[in-house]
Amino acid sequence: MGMVQKRKKMHYGDTHLQRRWRVRNRRRDLDQIDDDLRTRSGELINQNVDLEKPGFAQFYCVHCAKYFIDDTAMQAHFRTKVHKRRLKALETEPYSIEESERAAGRGSFQKPKKRVMETQPTKEEVIGGKRIKVTEVAENDSNAMEQDDQKPTTSVKANRKRKQKMDT
Amino acid sequence: MRIQTCYFCSSKIYPGHGVEFVRNDCKIFKFCRGKCHKAFKRKKNPRKVAWTKAYRKAAGKELAVDPSFEFEKRRNVPVKYSRETWQKSIEAIKKITEIKERREKHFVMERLRKGRQVEIQMDVRDVQQNMSLIRSPAAGLKERRAKEDAEQAALMEEDLPEEEITYVDARELEKKLEEGLDIDDLEMLEA
Repeated sequence: MGMVQKRKKMHYGDTHLQRRWRVRNRRRDLDQIDDDLRTRSGELINQNVDLEKPGFAQFYCVHCAKYFIDDTAMQAHFRTKVHKRRLKALETEPYSIEESERAAGRGSFQKPKKRVMETQPTKEEVIGGKRIKVTEVAENDSNAMEQDDQKPTTSVKANRKRKQKMDT
Repeated sequence: MRIQTCYFCSSKIYPGHGVEFVRNDCKIFKFCRGKCHKAFKRKKNPRKVAWTKAYRKAAGKELAVDPSFEFEKRRNVPVKYSRETWQKSIEAIKKITEIKERREKHFVMERLRKGRQVEIQMDVRDVQQNMSLIRSPAAGLKERRAKEDAEQAALMEEDLPEEEITYVDARELEKKLEEGLDIDDLEMLEA
């Protein structure tokens, strides 16, 4: 009995997960990223040198809100499943506080819009004036017909958007 | 007293309950209980979690699009207090909630009715596809075979009259063959 008595660990628990979910470890939410994509993609891709950030903040993926140390690392990231999954997640309009209120009965339900998501343009292209575009995908004909039956106001809006797209 | 709505499950939050989370962009997320707060921390999408209102409305489980939802809203327009409007709005609220509840119930019942029809269709298809379990394909096979045989026999009789067979004693035939006669000759003899 003189030996060290050690408790045998049967379960490793979820401490590592709890730590990841702490407020101090929070990453950007999808709705924040969506806002970034629409309003300030240019300045995020072409950032000033910041010695505190990885790669001096020169290699930033807007969709994943992540800094990389060099271009090869970033290009490798664009080919990963994590990045593709994120693009897919951003294809539908993110959930918002307004939607939670609508679901609670303050306003009618609005179908989340579908968008086209592509990997961001390169830095040179951004300097040249290119920005990330978030274009909405028109609904399928059958769905559009259903919507027409249910709520004509939205379909009118959609038509207007389509027209705008056609003009541009 | 203001009753808030939960960010995750869209339920009511009464004063003294739940948690608020203020994100560093000043957006305030309110949660009715630990379950919803935890789900938010795990970055769950409420549209994909079956027990939330957002899911139920997105999946067509509940009445989602209706003019009766347009009354209760944050309008951000100050209204001057008057006793008359207050009384009227109280009456209106009662009426509207009554109508809304009725419509919601109606929607659910219609949905379930449609489900019942689909169920019936599926049952019918199931029976058609698995008829062999109810009535064996071999049931009545003997009678059918016998009938078919009888029919065929009848047909045969009509077509060809049966050949007459003459019986010959084998030993005599052998003897005759030994004597040096061919089968053809024998036949000739019989004729």
